[in-house]
Amino acid sequence: MPTATILSKIKERFPGAVLDITEFADEHILHVQGQDILLVLTELKVDGFNFLADLTAIDNLNLGGFERFAVSYHLLSHKTTERLTVKAYIPEEKPSLPSVESLWKTADWQEREVFDLYGIKFEGHPNLIRIMNPDDFDGYPLRKDYPRLGRKERSDFPVIKRPFKKEKRTE
Amino acid sequence: MTRVTEQPLETDKMVLNFGPHHPATHGTLRIIMELEGETVTKATPEIGYLHSGFEKLGEDLDFNQYITITDRMNYLSPLCNNVAYALAAEKLIGIEVSKRTEYIRVLMCELSRIADHLLNVGMLAVDLGAMTAFLYGFRLREDIYDLFEIATGTRLTTSYTLVGGLMRDIPEGYDKAVIKVLNEVAEVANDIETLLNKNRIWQNRTKNIGIISKDDAISYGISGPMARASGIEWDIRVNEPYSRYDDFDFDVAIALNGDVFDRYLVRMEEIRQSIKICRQSLEKMPAGDVIVDPGLGYSLPPKDEVYNSIEGLIYHFEVTMPNRGMTPPVGEAYVPTESPNGELGFYIVSNGNRTPYRVRTRPPSLINYSIFSKLIEGHMLSDAPAIIGSINVIAGELDR
Amino acid sequence: MHSDDIKPNVLTTTLESAVNWGRKNSLWPMPFGTACCGIEFMAVLAARTDVSRFGAEAIRFSPRQSDLLIVAGRISIKMMPVLIRIYEQMPEPKWVISMGACASTGGVFDTYSVIQGVDQFIPVDVYVPGCPPRPEGVVEGLIKLQDLVGKEKLSDYSLTPTK
Repeated sequence: MPTATILSKIKERFPGAVLDITEFADEHILHVQGQDILLVLTELKVDGFNFLADLTAIDNLNLGGFERFAVSYHLLSHKTTERLTVKAYIPEEKPSLPSVESLWKTADWQEREVFDLYGIKFEGHPNLIRIMNPDDFDGYPLRKDYPRLGRKERSDFPVIKRPFKKEKRTE
Repeated sequence: MTRVTEQPLETDKMVLNFGPHHPATHGTLRIIMELEGETVTKATPEIGYLHSGFEKLGEDLDFNQYITITDRMNYLSPLCNNVAYALAAEKLIGIEVSKRTEYIRVLMCELSRIADHLLNVGMLAVDLGAMTAFLYGFRLREDIYDLFEIATGTRLTTSYTLVGGLMRDIPEGYDKAVIKVLNEVAEVANDIETLLNKNRIWQNRTKNIGIISKDDAISYGISGPMARASGIEWDIRVNEPYSRYDDFDFDVAIALNGDVFDRYLVRMEEIRQSIKICRQSLEKMPAGDVIVDPGLGYSLPPKDEVYNSIEGLIYHFEVTMPNRGMTPPVGEAYVPTESPNGELGFYIVSNGNRTPYRVRTRPPSLINYSIFSKLIEGHMLSDAPAIIGSINVIAGELDR
Repeated sequence: MHSDDIKPNVLTTTLESAVNWGRKNSLWPMPFGTACCGIEFMAVLAARTDVSRFGAEAIRFSPRQSDLLIVAGRISIKMMPVLIRIYEQMPEPKWVISMGACASTGGVFDTYSVIQGVDQFIPVDVYVPGCPPRPEGVVEGLIKLQDLVGKEKLSDYSLTPTK
């Protein structure tokens, strides 16, 4: 079934969930509400999109869009070699949405990475802890209001001094 | 009389830290293993020891500057990363490159693929004790580095592509140098296979270790040689061709068992197919320019125009100054490519400025590595280097 | 022995020169390779640029058995405690080569999670610039370190009185 037909079928089945269907550079993008993502993705998996290629998030603070955070899922169908991007929008006050780890096991680590870098929580995830930054890191680095140079985490380590009379460098 | 009752021996589980600094982990990986005797009952990998904030940097560098950062990701085959980013940026902006550019990009990607697979097979052999394969592969990698140096200027961090083409054209006589190296690669691949394929120790240490089933591979998002070794028939160069890969004639290697031995065989066969593609690319190389400049402000003008004419100078400033030139459309693009590790794609979101709004790499090393804790359960401790070696984890891509 | 046999067969020197000569020609490196510089370091050990010409062939991955720490690659905030611990585990005398731009100054990565120069926290003897440095560059750094070791005095290692 070509992608356009699948998308109109999804729009009929879940009218409240689908916010928009757009196209850019010959690719389809499906925009949905964050809370209904598990239902929409289960339906898409049944329709032939059996491979989750990528899971990431975008902070729409300066871009505009339906809500502040958008979690984007890139799906691939091995049978028809078609790709589809699904974007789930969640508001800033309550950044959480259901986890799709029950559909694809690859979402395990990728959702942990999104939690680490953006602070978005995934309900139903078996082990939602930080994966890239140290466990005592404070803040969510990839949000647009976090400075690139960080908040002094990279300079609070002990300075090792050796107890010898040796000069540091003679030339 | 008291009876001596028999009680079973109690064993305690030992927790072992396969630390971030260890010769058998290729890069900075940490695995916390629970062992019962020599058998691993549970393994928890911990990553992030090389997290450098690539994606945060991408929001401050413009489209051409980020290419220099992409080579630090998968540092064994940096040209594949450069090509993947340039393809994503070109799809977003809507630029078509010339045919000669596409053929040179294919040649460079395949040479990087040969280099990556040689190193990976060499490191797998070294971890299991067979040092000779590593030395053969490394000596040949130096010759491939010489080829990169002639074309791009450096050995490892090449930054060869531009949005809209390449930094410079390949020089005259390059094809003779490449063919000489390709003949050596064919011989070395035969030598390595002669040493390892029928070797009893190699087979005992790699057969039936770390078997991935087809359903698990799809559920865990595995791609590349690891997926093809489990029987999944998916190669992006054939199924979703990019950069004119459909002009070339080559086979795709698929194995059925999904263990470490099969992944090694798939990689060796891919080296041979890459040699075939390189030869075809050199024979059919079309003439032409490598930089297509549709006047959008992405490619630097040639230097003699910059120094000798005022229009060239103004255009040079338009491309490089931070508040001029480069107006991409508002939108997003994702282009998947077949890197030696699997599906490598860049997802670029732009809001019309010079710098992308969000640059995301789809890292094949991270996604392939997530299956490790399932694979090692039930195996012995000494199988861990074999399995890590066959996954080809590269820490730069894993942590970004 | 006959006095004619002594002159061509015996040489006299100071204890300092002998100790320095022994130390500099048998530096056993411990590579702390994290990223791309690690791959170029492997090329230094391989056949074309052979570092065993300088006596540094015995690569030991254990800090207790080595005396030269080569920091090759970017160090992130999660890895820094590991580096400090490994540096403290090495026995004296020890030297540090900071290989590449990322270990010396942070390199291209001016972000929240890359240490901008290892020398803020551990003492570094030789910096080798490059991204990644050519293997010949690393060998030049090693030769410079050998010159430095040759100029050391034994009194440099006397302990300063603790306050």
